[in-house]
Amino acid sequence: MAGSNGIASQDWAGRYDHIDQILNTPGPRTSPAFMAGDGVKDFLRNQAKILVIGAGGLGCEILANLALTGFKDIHVIDMDTIDISNLNRQFLFRPKDVGQPKATVAAEFIMKRVPGIKVTPYFGKIQDKDDEYYMQFNLVICGLDSVEARRWINATLVNLVDPENLESLKPLIDGGTEGFKGQARVILPTITSCYECSLDMLNKPTAFPICTIANTPRLPEHCIEWASVLEWPRVHRDKKMDTDDPDHINWLYTVASARAREFKIEGVTWSLTQGVVKNIIPAIASTNAIIAAACCNEAFKIATSSAAFLNNYFMLIGTEGVYSYTFEHEKRDDCPVCGGESLEMSIGPEITVEELIDMLTEKQDIQIKKPSLSSGSIQIYLQAPPQLEAITRPNLQKKVSELLPTGGEVTVTASTLPFNLSLNITYK
Amino acid sequence: MSLTESPEIISAQPDSKTRRYDRQLRLWASSGQTLLEESRILVLSSSATSTSILKNLVLPGIGHFTILDDAITSAADAGNNFFLEGPSSIGKRRASEAVRLLAELNDSVTGEAVTSTPVASVVSSLNFLSKFTLIITHNLPPSQLQTLSDTLWSSPTAPALLAVSSSGFFAEFFIQHHPHPIIESHTETPPSLRIRDPFPALLEHSKSLKLSELDPTEHAHIPYIPILIHARSLVPHDPKTQEEKNAFKTLILSLKFKQDEENFDEAHAQAYRVWTPTSLPSSLTQDIFPHLDTKLAPPAIPGIMHALLTALRRFTEREPHVLPVSPGLPDMKASTETYIHLQRMYKDQFNSDKEMFKSLIPPNPGEIPDDLIETFIRNAHGVQVFVGEQWGAFDKDVNRVGEALVVSPKDTSVHLALRAVREALENSGASEGASANVSAEEIKMHIVGMLPPDTELGEEIDKAIGEITRSPTADLPNTAAMLGGLVAQEAIKMITRQYVPQGGYCIVDCIDMRTGIVGL
Ligand SMILES: [Zn+2]
Repeated sequence: MAGSNGIASQDWAGRYDHIDQILNTPGPRTSPAFMAGDGVKDFLRNQAKILVIGAGGLGCEILANLALTGFKDIHVIDMDTIDISNLNRQFLFRPKDVGQPKATVAAEFIMKRVPGIKVTPYFGKIQDKDDEYYMQFNLVICGLDSVEARRWINATLVNLVDPENLESLKPLIDGGTEGFKGQARVILPTITSCYECSLDMLNKPTAFPICTIANTPRLPEHCIEWASVLEWPRVHRDKKMDTDDPDHINWLYTVASARAREFKIEGVTWSLTQGVVKNIIPAIASTNAIIAAACCNEAFKIATSSAAFLNNYFMLIGTEGVYSYTFEHEKRDDCPVCGGESLEMSIGPEITVEELIDMLTEKQDIQIKKPSLSSGSIQIYLQAPPQLEAITRPNLQKKVSELLPTGGEVTVTASTLPFNLSLNITYK
Repeated sequence: MSLTESPEIISAQPDSKTRRYDRQLRLWASSGQTLLEESRILVLSSSATSTSILKNLVLPGIGHFTILDDAITSAADAGNNFFLEGPSSIGKRRASEAVRLLAELNDSVTGEAVTSTPVASVVSSLNFLSKFTLIITHNLPPSQLQTLSDTLWSSPTAPALLAVSSSGFFAEFFIQHHPHPIIESHTETPPSLRIRDPFPALLEHSKSLKLSELDPTEHAHIPYIPILIHARSLVPHDPKTQEEKNAFKTLILSLKFKQDEENFDEAHAQAYRVWTPTSLPSSLTQDIFPHLDTKLAPPAIPGIMHALLTALRRFTEREPHVLPVSPGLPDMKASTETYIHLQRMYKDQFNSDKEMFKSLIPPNPGEIPDDLIETFIRNAHGVQVFVGEQWGAFDKDVNRVGEALVVSPKDTSVHLALRAVREALENSGASEGASANVSAEEIKMHIVGMLPPDTELGEEIDKAIGEITRSPTADLPNTAAMLGGLVAQEAIKMITRQYVPQGGYCIVDCIDMRTGIVGL
């Protein structure tokens, strides 16, 4: 069944009657570039190649929608295996699939259900693939729950853009959900606002101060954090906590419950313990369906030019009625990924390198973990390798102003980020 | 594996059902899940949109669904519906194929296909319809939808109706329901902490604080609530003018021993609570309390619910005209002892308010479970009664439609185009899903008929007509999936009686990728 001819032959007469109503005729708002009829159908069904990142809650929905819409060459990447708690929404999986790779099971299901569609799974990390791999696609749709993975693919696609080669611009459609809420957006790398441009829109994860956990617990969450952050390493030393291991959750639950009793705090439950240590986000099929549909609808409109596409952000809140907000998120000139300008930072002349690192870690629009700092040939502080860390460590206590003139450029790197951040330091 | 230093590990891992539903139980808890599992859903179609909606209801675990549809799977159905098996389903009963493939998603859900009864014969059968919790339709011909709506509107205990309509990139849906009480609305507005109207124990405790005599550690761990009430007792009256408010804030900071006492910073930030009145939500005082003896009297709402709302009204009629205290306390800078002590005070007051509340419940409706009373009081500040109107009532009032077109031209134009295309398709005798042409003139004629005489149609109407005539019968996979999600969300909110459903017509425009509301 390989090859586009084999695929096309699986189209039975009338198969695309619904979609062809759109593809046969332009609408009042359709761009003149639309090749109504055979031209657009040939591109969609025989040429377009699309990558789906994530085969979980959003990914299952995205794959089904793309297949029904007529995309026939679909690739999917996911590094996870199927868990029982996925089955309330990840509808391509059954109880017998628990433990299997999501990408593989999802691909097989789609190919069985929707004849003539080729879905190529990859069970692994997006970081395993190189630029050449990403170059082969016309579009990328992302349904991920990881901020880090999204930042990686966003930066990779922005870096891929070669102004001389129009093909190098890969539209990135990104979706995300939490409970009854979600968002979908279209990113045209280097042209529109990118994922990094909007980092400050993310909710700050709730972090409990260590002194509260250790000395003045008030909430059941404080007791659970005490068990996982302080007691686990104390009792188990080097053994890593595995939040997927029910025995480990049982241990944490027991220890947290004992602490809660001691302090007369109510409300430690197994489910709360698991929720806190795994940072569980509520997820339901219906919200995933809305956001995945929004993503795939944009992919369809971009691939076919059959209608204007989203510019560029759609946000939905379904807790109180159906509230949505569609707006254009602005590109940031000082975005470390797509902006080109360095980030202006004005600091006190007394600020030490260590304090600057803390400020960077705290900054909501950067969200960097363990940054290394350098300026031209000066290595200000490097987190790794250990020898260089040791050599640069004394700089931590030095004032930044001793090391850098005002207007000095600092390059910030971190192992979790596929790009460098450029800071322009001035003193107050 | 041995886990040392914890002799009695509690093995409390939840059962497999709880694990399967874990991510949704965090939204609607076991109370919502039970209602979901008891629900029976009737869907009058097995189109791509209908199966998308059902998928999102079967997965979280409704009890039962029935698809009533006599259609035979066409080539086009097999191409756009994920719950058909491609060419091998062509020629078979579409509802039977869909039920088989939907039921696979969840072993605990039962599904039934009714393929021999025409839709027209059930839309007027209150007896048949009343076996279900919720009725969902997709692109039902307007005359049948009107009959169905009339039937369900005629009885206060008849199920709610979720009427869905779509063509190409456009869609809308409307929930027709009788007064629908919601206890757990999950409002983001927290309950009052009663800082302005402290209950006696809280007032006594706060006034008696000898802040200046505390040791520095204790002083830095007094929660902001007693700090604020204590500070209030130091000034002659509630701060009113901006100067008095600023002076009050300065007073709070002057009570600090040391600059870095975060509890006083919290008190400073929360100072507005001292002069902000503890007003009752208008969702109670305007939308519920005045109507309890009239339009919300049973059987409009269930007797138990009516009794609880009546008790709440009576409770708030007493001084100091506040809701019962909620036992939940947000986290704040405090030592464990002071925080737990404060929490205890709120719990004690909650319990005594609960006893008072119980004494105010009218005797008639019979036994009300204690945990229901507790849930009701805990959520009293967010309690709502969602009052609806009949499907189509908006459209019969040309003046309302005319006004809507002025206020929200885009959404109203999409709504009118969808209403018009359903009429036109019914008039042409086209069966659901089959290709059919409708002319722009015909759509325009229907739209003009729904508007006041001499209404200027405008550009948005023209665009909507252009788009709807492009794809009048297209059930696009993405639009279907989008509706599948939106409609299932609303269905879940109706069934679980948690969160707040949408009133009016919810309009979905998948070109601009926006939603809007018409006819609220
Ligand atoms: Zn950017």
